[in-house]
Amino acid sequence: MSPTVRQRSKRMILDSIGVGLVGSTTPVFDIALRYCRLYSSVAVSSVYGKPGVKLSPTLAAFTNGVATHSMDFDDTWHPATHPSGAILPALLAASQMLPPNTKPNGLDFLLAFNVGLEVQGRLMHFSTEAHDIPKRFHPPSVVGTLGSAAATAKLLSLSSAQCCHALGIAASLAGAPMANAATQAKPLHVGNATRLGLEAALLAGRGMEANPLILDDIPGCSGFSAFYSVYQPKPLSAPGEHHEFLLEKQDIAFKRFPAHLGMHWVVDAALSVRNLFINYAGSFSPSLIRTIMLKIPVSKYINRPFPSSEHQARHSFQFNACAALLDGEVGLGSFSESSIHRQELRELLDKVVVEHPEDNVANFDKMYGEVALLLHSGDVLTGKCDTFYGHWRKPLSKESLLKKFRSNASHVLPEEKIEAIITLVDNLENLSDSSQLACTSGAPTTSLQEKFLHQQHIPNT
Amino acid sequence: MWAKTVTGNFAKVIHGLNANQLTDEVIQRSKRMILDTLGVGLLGTSTEVFHKVAQYSKIYSSDLSSTIWGHLDFRLPPLYAAFVNGVAVHSMDFDDTWHPATHPSGAVLPALIALSEAFPQKKKISGLDLLLAFNVGIEVQGRLLHFSREARNIPRRFHPPAVVGTMGSAAACAKLLALDQLECKNALAIAASYAGAPLANAATQIKPLHIGNAAKNGLEAACLALQGLQGNKQILDMESGMGAFYTDYNPQTLPTLQSYPWLLDQQDVAIKRFPAHLATHWVADAASSVRRKLVESSESLLPIDKIEKVILKVPEVKYVNRPSPASEHEARHSFQFVACSALLDGSMSVQSFSSENIDRPALRELLCKTQLEHPPDNTPSFDSLYCQVSVTLRDSSTISDRCTTFYGHWRKPLEKEDLEKKFQSNVLNILPTESMEGIIETVYNLEKVEDCSVLSTFLSGQSASTSREAALPLSVPANSYVLFTKSMQNSGQTLA
Repeated sequence: MSPTVRQRSKRMILDSIGVGLVGSTTPVFDIALRYCRLYSSVAVSSVYGKPGVKLSPTLAAFTNGVATHSMDFDDTWHPATHPSGAILPALLAASQMLPPNTKPNGLDFLLAFNVGLEVQGRLMHFSTEAHDIPKRFHPPSVVGTLGSAAATAKLLSLSSAQCCHALGIAASLAGAPMANAATQAKPLHVGNATRLGLEAALLAGRGMEANPLILDDIPGCSGFSAFYSVYQPKPLSAPGEHHEFLLEKQDIAFKRFPAHLGMHWVVDAALSVRNLFINYAGSFSPSLIRTIMLKIPVSKYINRPFPSSEHQARHSFQFNACAALLDGEVGLGSFSESSIHRQELRELLDKVVVEHPEDNVANFDKMYGEVALLLHSGDVLTGKCDTFYGHWRKPLSKESLLKKFRSNASHVLPEEKIEAIITLVDNLENLSDSSQLACTSGAPTTSLQEKFLHQQHIPNT
Repeated sequence: MWAKTVTGNFAKVIHGLNANQLTDEVIQRSKRMILDTLGVGLLGTSTEVFHKVAQYSKIYSSDLSSTIWGHLDFRLPPLYAAFVNGVAVHSMDFDDTWHPATHPSGAVLPALIALSEAFPQKKKISGLDLLLAFNVGIEVQGRLLHFSREARNIPRRFHPPAVVGTMGSAAACAKLLALDQLECKNALAIAASYAGAPLANAATQIKPLHIGNAAKNGLEAACLALQGLQGNKQILDMESGMGAFYTDYNPQTLPTLQSYPWLLDQQDVAIKRFPAHLATHWVADAASSVRRKLVESSESLLPIDKIEKVILKVPEVKYVNRPSPASEHEARHSFQFVACSALLDGSMSVQSFSSENIDRPALRELLCKTQLEHPPDNTPSFDSLYCQVSVTLRDSSTISDRCTTFYGHWRKPLEKEDLEKKFQSNVLNILPTESMEGIIETVYNLEKVEDCSVLSTFLSGQSASTSREAALPLSVPANSYVLFTKSMQNSGQTLA
């Protein structure tokens, strides 16, 4: 460092400290401080799958949010985002934070959850950009943060003005670039969305104020519009009149295996052509295949010919198509290190060629996947998928959804807890204390059974 | 009551929706979503990324803590100390400003100081370590700002400290933590996913959190990188990386390490003389000068009733154009307010923004007579803007003055005495004199200080007689080393 640099930087340090010290007398500092002092107190919120571990609410939300998106196995909506992971962890953590006599009941919880969903959906409708697979900012980090703020504000019964500020504060905590998708950092986008939305609501509840016009379009000084190049906000229908939730008209997609949603089309197409091929050749014989042609939409971050990590593999049309062809199914195990680097798989990947037909738009409502096997013999076998099983046009059956849940939960929880959670969620509207849902990852089984048995005495409405 | 803005409308709806409005379909679908999410989350607890963040988050159950500037009564975990102290630094818009525009120090210094206190006892951080890490954090911010032409002007979309400040904090903390090259790359990648806040929250109470969060999130990114978390190693190269925050983005490689040309060497910062947006400093100097021409002595009152109008020729900066500010945050972002205050009082100070002063009838009267003009040659850049204040009297005579470089700007830096005076005046009612003098002395000799924890001790206000005991840091319990140890490579291992 040159003397000039040293001298200047020391001046900056001195000034910065002085300014900080005088700043410690301001109201905004008081609010921030009071908020942070929460963390000196006892950790109260549970962590998925870790009985006995408790963290402070926002960090529990963060951790659970990361868990939710860690394998890209969570739900996807249209316009595109992962809505539930951004709000559920915050609500669970917040429910445990509230004192015993003010615990929200199951219906309150369900309502807050839906408020969080609704806000996310409505915000995405403000930009035509949002209808397509994203390119710049990762949607959960944009709308997810505000959804979490809205949901938590609802659960905490903040006033209308406080709800407004919660949104404004959340906007300053939103936004992560797409480049971190397909890396280990991507799950943090959902973790932070849910954590920071909760934080925004907590700060608003303590009197922090932000720009009350954060969602409005003010030229020359961007609010939420900063995250979009085209932005046209519209008001929602007034509460009191019949409100139609977006979820009514537009269902969600649930994933059948842990990879980016786009992969689900090519996998179903690959499985279909695999069957044709087995009928044709008697068995799956890769040596007969000259080229594997994939017809997919244009989307850079999911077009990876040779993924080298699990995160990349979950974001690779090529990998998922080949895994489906080779194994006849794609599941958790498909993304392990050994599976990714298999010789047979690599050989198949070498044969892949990708095409982007103009009619295949990068949009989860309109895209399709096509897998064609060009054989050495000259024959061509094709499989195409417009709507995979699990998409909102072809939703998972109750049995399939439960199967997925049981399979996932069995990695960390005993059977009785698994069934207890299923029952709790199924009867959510009748639950008197929704923090029980959060506790199920940590509470001793007996007390849970007692509560469960107690529930069964309530007649079903 | 119907809300007039979309934002207000959203708030109303969030607040007003009730359970009756949930339909069966919605209930059924959302319960499916909840169940699936729980299952997916439970499964996800077996992943490596989960282990890393859980390990990291457990810090908050430990006794690891850092100083809160000006407070002896309690401490906070390093992340939150960084946050809170960062908020303090930007709380009054009194902190430094650079060119291209950002507030560089507030995003970096609180994180470094908080972090320096978190090292295990036997590892001392010297003043030179701190100085170097600080400069790394400043340099990274400056270099990133040079990647976009947009950045040369006063911002309109994202608030720069939230963008480059987060990256600078990550870089500085990575330096202090002595992360290896790969970890540094990841720290930057992770930090990018925390960066960015819209400008609309400037001039509100939340703006200071942009700096607080930049400091805290950069520190968090560095800590997560140390735990082995990985992001996109080309985060600065890609349009969908750092480029997401700009409409034109052209990253460049940095100069070679040999005799490295620091940006701070070529381009100094501006230090503010009063707590308000930098652009108002030109206005204040011009207005003070006009006032001196209007009244015989500095004690005399400004003859407001003789004034017909006040015209301010300023660059076009929407968020500093406020004809009638209603809060201190708005007043700090108002050309009009600062011009009128300076005309009335002769100079600006911390007290100018008290609610009594903001609501003064004389001020309100003068504000009504004030207009802005935006000459086309007045570009919205801190390097080239000017402000002209013209007061037209009822007798049609006009008194004007133009300021092209205010005192404190990088072209006319504050003298050492004035920098110290600002510091002393700020700190007067917060710290005892010896702490105040201690900080000045420590900073001036920073490169020779062996253990910069003395700085933290002074910052807390601890008196010299007990400071020798205080120089022995609080015994740091074993589990707090979690902050500094990397998590094991195989995810199968559960960490205690």
